[in-house]
Amino acid sequence: MERSLALSALFAARIAALFLIPSFTLAFGVPVTAQTLGVMLCGTVLGAKRGTLAVLLFLVLVAIGLPFLAGGRGGLGVFAGPTVGFLVGWPVAAFVTGLIVERWRGANLAVVATVASIIGGIIVLYAFGIVGMSVILERTLLEAAGLVTAFIPGDIIKAVLAGLLTAALFKARPASVLSRASSDG
Amino acid sequence: MLCLTSPVETSAHRWRPGIKFALLCAATFVLLAIDSLVFQVAAFLGCLLLFALPGRTFFLAGMRALKPLWPFVVILIVWHGITQDMADGLAIVLRLMTAVGLATLVTMTTRLSDMMDFVRWALQPLARFGLQTRLVELGIALVIRFTPALAAQGRQLAQSWRARAHQKPRWQLILPLTVAAIDDAEQVAQALRARGGLMPHNSGVPTPARTD
Amino acid sequence: MLSVVSIVPPTFNPAPAPVSADAGTWFAFDKVSLSLDGKSVLHEVSVRSSARRIGMVGRNGSGKSTFARLFAGLIAPTTGSVEVRGVDVAKDRRAALSTVGILFQNPDHQIIFPTVEEELAFGLLQQGVSKADAAEQVAQLLAQFGKSHWAPEAAHSLSQGQKKLVCLMAVLAMKPKAIVLDEPLSGLDIPTQLQLSRYLDDADAMLVHIAHDPDHIRDYDEVLWLEEGRLVADGAPAKVLPAFTARMHELGGGDALSDLAG
Repeated sequence: MERSLALSALFAARIAALFLIPSFTLAFGVPVTAQTLGVMLCGTVLGAKRGTLAVLLFLVLVAIGLPFLAGGRGGLGVFAGPTVGFLVGWPVAAFVTGLIVERWRGANLAVVATVASIIGGIIVLYAFGIVGMSVILERTLLEAAGLVTAFIPGDIIKAVLAGLLTAALFKARPASVLSRASSDG
Repeated sequence: MLCLTSPVETSAHRWRPGIKFALLCAATFVLLAIDSLVFQVAAFLGCLLLFALPGRTFFLAGMRALKPLWPFVVILIVWHGITQDMADGLAIVLRLMTAVGLATLVTMTTRLSDMMDFVRWALQPLARFGLQTRLVELGIALVIRFTPALAAQGRQLAQSWRARAHQKPRWQLILPLTVAAIDDAEQVAQALRARGGLMPHNSGVPTPARTD
Repeated sequence: MLSVVSIVPPTFNPAPAPVSADAGTWFAFDKVSLSLDGKSVLHEVSVRSSARRIGMVGRNGSGKSTFARLFAGLIAPTTGSVEVRGVDVAKDRRAALSTVGILFQNPDHQIIFPTVEEELAFGLLQQGVSKADAAEQVAQLLAQFGKSHWAPEAAHSLSQGQKKLVCLMAVLAMKPKAIVLDEPLSGLDIPTQLQLSRYLDDADAMLVHIAHDPDHIRDYDEVLWLEEGRLVADGAPAKVLPAFTARMHELGGGDALSDLAG
């Protein structure tokens, strides 16, 4: 119980920390979607429940006014803007990603994590994001989809990275990849 | 703690966050309900006025928050220009900026500690569904406490990289940061258990430091 | 599962020990000052030395870690210059990478890669060594330390002392001419300290060893004493260390804990 809360909080802090470090770029840093990698990792490493909690905590902190989004953004303003769909979709994405990694055993972890990140972190997330954008900008879904397609190749690369990092973490600390723990802690 | 609350004091800083939030919801509702361009222009100008009242620093800070919207503004204007309904386009653009602006105003005029109180209050109804609000508070406190530490560790790892490599560090640093997060979490969990754990009867919940 | 192993191998063959120091290794801090956020961290530090084993002492916050980073060229001085073997380490990063190595205090903040062999190979690959050559050099280095079995192991699952050794090996892999060590022995139990010390002593490079415990550097050639960002002493350990220890005890008798930094 304490462990779940601590892990979720620390992973939320990790997402925040990644964007407070100025000298460190993700190399594909398209501002709006660069955080997706941190979100995908919450799902692939912590699993569905704790991963979602971590992302939710992160969002609450952004909402109450901490500048944890790329570019030092945060506060209620970001929830009124066109990217609100993506923000709302993040916890769902983490949940779906985590669920897939937890349930789909037997295959290579890097592959599983990558596929899970694509399904959760791209397909599900973009669904939410596109709907949100089309509502706020008052365009059709198709038009909103057109706006975001440019980011998809970058996010696919991030999904692959998420897979590689999850597998590397498993190499470094097998017991810590909770999505693959045999018992719930 | 780095925070988006404006250091420029306004009278709104003293209002209860619940009131500001309610006003924001009402205003957003009105904005969405009324399509007329004239109204949207007036609303936007009113919003700009609110930003300008506390002075130049406040105004500039507010404009910085609106800056990320410009690509969308451009896209919308171009689109509506092509379909030749500029009036509609402008109305949508203005509504967007006003909504974001008003929400930003709430953030800039509410101290973190007041926000925390509001979150605590707003979560109370959910307690009936079993959500332990203390856990949410504790979670928030932990994130605030550990973000700077993890960021410092990230900077240190970046130095460890630069001590051996010419290029800038990239995604590879996420791995040791994640391991660090996991290790810190383990320590935190033990510390929590040592203080009686998270069982309902325990009243020793640390609260986030007041930042005002 | 990695069993608990001590860091002293049963058969340790030290590299052929150099009889005298590499006379070409020297460093010079020329009136180096560093200010961060308006606060002066180092003030006009000037020192020049070609001793093989140099120690540094000073209280926490005296600027020792900053000195280490300046020495490695990771940060640039606000005024003045830092040269190691003629290389301006802050400006000429490429040359600096093969000249100076740095060992940080906390190995958890230093190890980047999941396995030991990846961590050791990283610097080599960055220097342009081919993957095959890097793998071979890493294998040789591990064998030299008797740790060949560590190659595929998860670096993050090792003990503190073992992690420090991994970090040391990662630095040695790049064959630097000088290594600056930021409190390398802190946090280790005494046997591990002694073992790691032996590895340090055998390193074929100029060492700048920052220590909070004077005992660690009693046998060194030269000791520098930093106090509040200034170099207050530079000389033989026999002269500097007693003065330092006396001063520390003097301060310990006061109530400095209540003073907040800055």
